[in-house]
Formats: sequence, structure tokens, C-alpha cells
Amino acid sequence: MRAVNAVTTSWAGLHVDRPSFSAVAESELDAVHRYLLFLTGNRAVAEDLTGETFERAFRRWRRFDPSRGTPRAWLCRIARSTALDHFRAEERRRRREDRFAHGVAVVDETELGPGPLEAALAQLSPAEREVVALRVLLELDGPTAARVLGISATACSTRLSRALKRLEEMMSDVRA
Amino acid sequence: MSAPEYAELIRELRAIPSAAPESVRERVRALGEPAPRWSIPQLPWRRSLLVLAPVCVIGVLVAAVVHGVLSSSPSDQAFEHVQSGAQHGAAGSNKQTFGPATDATTPQVLRSPIVPPTSGRHQDYDAWMRIRVKDLDALTQETNEAMQVVRSCGGYVASVNQTTTAGAPGEADLVMRVPVAHVEDALVRLADLGTVLDRRLSIVDLEQTLRQQHQRILRLRLFIARATAELQQSLPADVRLRLQFALEQAKASLSQVARANKGTLRVAALSRISLTLTTEHAATAVRKGGAGRFHRAATSAGHFLAGAGAVVLFLLIVLSPVIVLVVLGVLGVRAYRRREERRLLASA
Repeated sequence: MRAVNAVTTSWAGLHVDRPSFSAVAESELDAVHRYLLFLTGNRAVAEDLTGETFERAFRRWRRFDPSRGTPRAWLCRIARSTALDHFRAEERRRRREDRFAHGVAVVDETELGPGPLEAALAQLSPAEREVVALRVLLELDGPTAARVLGISATACSTRLSRALKRLEEMMSDVRA
Repeated sequence: MSAPEYAELIRELRAIPSAAPESVRERVRALGEPAPRWSIPQLPWRRSLLVLAPVCVIGVLVAAVVHGVLSSSPSDQAFEHVQSGAQHGAAGSNKQTFGPATDATTPQVLRSPIVPPTSGRHQDYDAWMRIRVKDLDALTQETNEAMQVVRSCGGYVASVNQTTTAGAPGEADLVMRVPVAHVEDALVRLADLGTVLDRRLSIVDLEQTLRQQHQRILRLRLFIARATAELQQSLPADVRLRLQFALEQAKASLSQVARANKGTLRVAALSRISLTLTTEHAATAVRKGGAGRFHRAATSAGHFLAGAGAVVLFLLIVLSPVIVLVVLGVLGVRAYRRREERRLLASA
């Protein structure tokens, strides 16, 4: 993880140095976008949710406590909550549309890219993709990733192993 | 994350282009910096509970100690209760009571002034004192001294009852009558016989009783005078008989009221002093000493804590169903959200 090189400010008289929001946003934007891209499996949605995540973080910035975790983990929690809200809204929308357009084939919105790895990733569930994103791409340690996901460290490790194994299997078929 | 068996896969995953596009970057940059807002730092509820619980316990303990110390102070033990009116000429039979506890070991009570009878008013003045003397010899000596004091004040001893049994504290009970004018002097001198353990005063105003008796006497005298004058005239036999009968009744009533009036005046003239001299080595005094006060403070603090505990227990009993429901609700909502999240992330 890159260190946040930013102006620090004193926090509400508690003398805990914390980075400025703009510095955190600049340094963590790609990480958050990457996480949301893997979680949603859709670039357009990931871009929307990234913007929304930072807007939420902007509003809640006062509540961020650097002594309780890194800005990246905090932003990932917000991003996850934003994505879950999106999934709920999508589900409601689909249910509503199903009522009026019964029998119409549902278009798969997962779209990560044209390559075989992207196709293999699309076969994984969002839960599996997000653990890969957090642990492999964002390089969060096990306990931090588990906290973001709201599960135990063991469950997080198991889920990651299973996801990587599935990916490896799919990719070895492609490579062969 | 570095698993050797997945090294190639991980390299490929990291190579997937996933940088945020410029449009998103611009959108985020446009947010700028949140305006700093000064507010009280919010502690997480677990930490707050960790701080608040001991603070509350300490607060209750301090309150109990303060309550114990305050309620055990000597000034709280001796009380004076005055019903106003007797000293200010209010109509009616008013009563003042002073006491009950006069602590022998507390100087301010020993020095507390004796309430004198109000001059110019008729009052029933009743005093009761319990005095500790050194030993049996002193008991006899001080009993005689008390009798002399009363006589020198113009009063008399109505009764003396002295008990001395081997192995038991001796006691002498004296009932004395002292002219009201000298009662204050008598009480002061009697208090010097030993250590005053207890003192009670009762003052009952007799003005209204006397006024009523005087009025009744006047009415009866007037009736007797009129009836006597009428009887000297010529009257029908039956009327004369009735009048003579009424006259006899009036004379009897007059003598009865006059006797009652004399009795009231006698009561008002002489005060009653009940004096108990004892050799009892004042359990009271010891109890009210330093160790006694600590004991009282501890007992009072204990009662306070027990009361606080009862309140907390009552609140727990009353609120526990609500607390259980709230906790179950929170856990239920959390479990529901977890399951929903799992479902969404498994199928989205």
C-alpha cells in the first residue's frame, strides 16, 4: 500500500494527525475503483459507484478515525455499502421489470474486459471477486480484509483460496 | 498476498487495467476539502460504557459516603420542634415541645438554652431530664442536692423513688413542682448535677382555658343574681319552684367551675419537673461518641446504597423485557442484513 503523502491536520483537539480528504481521495481513488470494478464486474457501474463512494466519504469524513484503521479500509467499507445499496436497487428494479416484461431474457451486465481472465472473473460470484480484489489487488492484510467484509479472518482466507483455485482451474483450461 | 502456486494468476490479475477514468477523477477532485467543523469527539459506545460504568459506581459510592457523613452529624440528632402561637398570644391551648435527645457528649446541646416560660401568660410548663452521675454515692448526694435546689427555688418534691441494686445501675426518679417564675433557674441548676443525657420540655398555653372559665363564672354569677332578685318578688308556685331548682343548679356549676379555675391557676403557677438521675455508664453517650458516629455514618451509607441498589434492581426488572426485545431486534436486523448481503453477493 502506498503511503499517503498529505497535509496533516489536528483532529478536534485530540492531537491525532490525519491526512486531508483530498490527499486521501487522490491516493486511494484507483484502489477504490479497482475494488468496485471487481465487486460489480461492470466498468460503468464501478465508475458511478466510485464517485458516489467518495461523495459519501466526503460527507462522513469527520467520523474517520485514523487510529482505528487505514483510509483505504475505511473507504472500502463505504464502497462496499454503496455497492450493496446498488445491488438492492438493481434487484428491486429487476423484480419490477419482471412483473411487466415476463419472459424477456435478462441481459448479463457483467463486463470486465475482453480477455480470458476477465471472462473467468465474470464466472465468479461478487463475493469471490471482492475478496480477490481486497487481498490481491489492494493488498489488504487478512484481518483488515475480513473486517471490511464483515466475516472472520478464517472465512476470508477460505473464500480467497476457493476463488483463486476456481480462477486457476478456469485459466489452466484456457492456457491448455 | 503472495501464494507461489498462484503467482502467475496474481500477476495477470494485477495487469488488468483498472485505473479510475479521468471523468471520475475530476468528479472526486471537485469535492474539494470538507469544511472543518468543531464538535465534541464522539467516543464509541463500548468505550463510553467502559468509562461511564465505573464513573457511575464511584458517583453512587461518593453520594453514599456524603449522605452517611451528613446524616450522622450531631446536629441532626438533636432536633427542636416549635409550634408557634404559645409565645405570641394566639388563642387556644398551644403546646411547645423541645427534645427529645440532648446528647451529653455534644457541647452545643449542653449549652443549648432552656426555653423559659412566657412572662404574663399562664402556661403549663412540664420538663423532663435524664442526668448521668458518676456512681452510687454521687447518686444519693445529687438526689439530695436536687431536692435542695427545688426547695431553694420555692418549690417542693412531690415524689422521690431511688433504686440501687448491686450490679445494676442506680436510678433516682424525682417529681418536683417549682414556681414557674423560678423554673428556668431550677433547670439550669439541676443540669449542673451531672451530664445531661436527655431533656424534654413541654409548654401548654392555658390562657384560653382560663378565659373560658372566667366567662362561664361571670355568666353563672349573673344568672344567680337575677334569679335571686326574681325570687324575692311574688311568683306563681310552679314558676318559683322551677327558678329555685335552676338557681341550685347554677350554684353547683359555679362552685365546680371555680374549683376548675383554681386548679388551672395552680397548674399555671407551678411547673412540673421530672428528673431521673442515673449511674448508667451512658451507653447513649458512648454510642454517640466518635466510634458511634462512624457506625451511624456507615449504617446510613449502607442504607443509601441499599436504596440505590433497590432502584437499580427495580429498573432492571421493569426495563429488562424492553432491553431483551431491543437486543433481539438489533441481532435480528443484523442477521437479516448479513443474510441479504450474502444472497446479493452470491447472485448479483
